[in-house]
This record gives sequence, C-alpha cells and structure tokens, in this order.
Amino acid sequence: MSIAAAVLDSVRAEAANRGGARVARAGLRIGELSGVEPESLRFCLETLVSGSDLDPLAFDFEICPWTRRCRACGAVFRVLEWNPACSACGSADTEAAGGDQMELTYLELEEP
Amino acid sequence: MRVPLERKVLNENDRIAATLRERFQKHGVFCLNLISSPGSGKTSLLERTLEGFEAGRRVAVLTGDIQTDNDARRLAHFGFPVRQITTGGACHLDARMVERALEGWPVEDLEILFLENVGNLVCPTSYDLGEEARAVLLSVTEGEDKPLKYPATFHHADLMVLSKIDLLPYVPFQADVAKENARRVQPGIEILDVSCTTGEGLDRWRAWLDSHL
Repeated sequence: MSIAAAVLDSVRAEAANRGGARVARAGLRIGELSGVEPESLRFCLETLVSGSDLDPLAFDFEICPWTRRCRACGAVFRVLEWNPACSACGSADTEAAGGDQMELTYLELEEP
Repeated sequence: MRVPLERKVLNENDRIAATLRERFQKHGVFCLNLISSPGSGKTSLLERTLEGFEAGRRVAVLTGDIQTDNDARRLAHFGFPVRQITTGGACHLDARMVERALEGWPVEDLEILFLENVGNLVCPTSYDLGEEARAVLLSVTEGEDKPLKYPATFHHADLMVLSKIDLLPYVPFQADVAKENARRVQPGIEILDVSCTTGEGLDRWRAWLDSHL
C-alpha cells in the first residue's frame, strides 16, 4: 500500500511539473524481482485512486523479466527456474542485469 | 498526449537513502540492514552481538516494529544506544523513518549501526535505507525453499545468516538445500551458520562484521 501511495505521489508530482494537467493513464514498469506483486499493487492503486483527486486514473503494467548477464559470452538471458547459469553458453560466471525495476514510464495527459 | 518518463517510484526514498549512505560513508559507519521473517532471530542475534562487544565499542541499533518497544527494551540491557522505530502499521522501515530516528544521535561517532527491519520477507526489500550491506536471516524452523519463494529479498542480500542451527537435529530442514537455493537466487551471497543458543558461529559472524570496518 505504501508503494501504491508512492506511485500516486509520483504521478501528482509529475503532473504538477506539467501545469497541473489531468492524468488519464499512467504506465508502470515492474520487475519480477522488485518484491512487488503486480495484482496486489493494482488493487491498492485502485483503492487509493477511487474518490481521490486522481479518479478515474488507470494504469498499464509492463512486467520486466528477471535477467542476468554472462561475463563469459556477454549474453543477457532470462532467469528461469532460478537458474543463474548462462542459458547461451552455460557459464556460471554471471551478474544481475535486471528485474528489480519499479518505475513510472509515462503519463497520458488530458488535452486542456 | 503521452509524456514518456523514467521515474523510479521510490525516488524520494532513494534520495533520502543516498543522503544517509553518504553520511555513513563519510564518517566510516558500517550500516547493516537486517531482514527476515518474524521470529527468525534478528533480535536474538543482536542481543548476542551486543553482549559480546566490549563496553568501548561504538555501536548502536535502530529496531523497527509495527507495535511495541519490546525489542528496544531487550536490546537496551547491554549499554549501547538503542532506539525503537514504531511504524504504526507499516510492514517495513523506510529511509525517512531512519533519518528521523537518527535526529540528535551522534551517528558520526559510530563504527556500526544496525537497522533491525520489521519482520517481513517482502516489503523491506524495496526500501533502501542507506545501508552498506544487507543481511537476511533464515532459521532452520522455516522452509529450505524460502530463497526461491522470496527471491527478491535474497537477491538483494550480501549475507544470509542461517540461524537456530542448534535445532537441526530436531527438524527436517536440509541446510545444504537451503544454501543451494540461496546461491541460485544470489550466486555471490555469503552464508554463515549461527546458533544464538549455543553460541556456535557467533565468532564467524563477529569476524564478518569486523571485516567491514
């Protein structure tokens, strides 16, 4: 719920930076490793938006996969079944490459 | 009209955390964020840790709970500064709570600051507190698959403390499987076996802390 509140604070701040335009939709990018369950977040957002100054703001979710980068062959691969080894060359020498995103990616502003 | 953005949802928290981190680094304070399920032994580990420190050590604890100051009272017996953060419902600490709790405290004089997070394996993960390292506790009375069930938490941890290892003979917990699971989620994770009841492993834990000073 506090993450949902942070999302709405971000939307309000960005809208205020744009002359207080009304926001119809907002895009959210959520990584598989962010610790956020998208459906729970959606529920919390809907609950907070309902009856607020942002009502009827809607959200689009983009879910980002958990990825690692291979230090041996350079491939960026999706981690499946928690397997950290490179899916291209099999090397175990890999590093975190993505999946912990929690970002606001766009606002759809209503024309004045 | 669509306006593209690249704004982190928790950017306000991250901003405060960056300020705290800068402050800790400037003054050589090793700040450790302790995360685990409720009842994994965070407070017990801190009790044994404080108990083992000489009186002159410059160590302090901020301990977070949804309600009560029981943990702060448990930890205050050892003569080191302890403050309770009562979140009043929030299931995690955030950087602003830490910043407020540190007001008026001689943080600059510390060598170690422990942040005992609220018992929860999900929400604390998302909130940077300005710590230099993050430790997650997993007790042997839990499941070996917790690193797989809560990958975000283990993925962001530098250290896993396998706690209550004195109970291993009495529970079906397979320690090697739990460690393998943690390494699948975070290949670089360090792992320490500890029992706060027998004291086993506490020397290695203290050595790990000292290696960060």
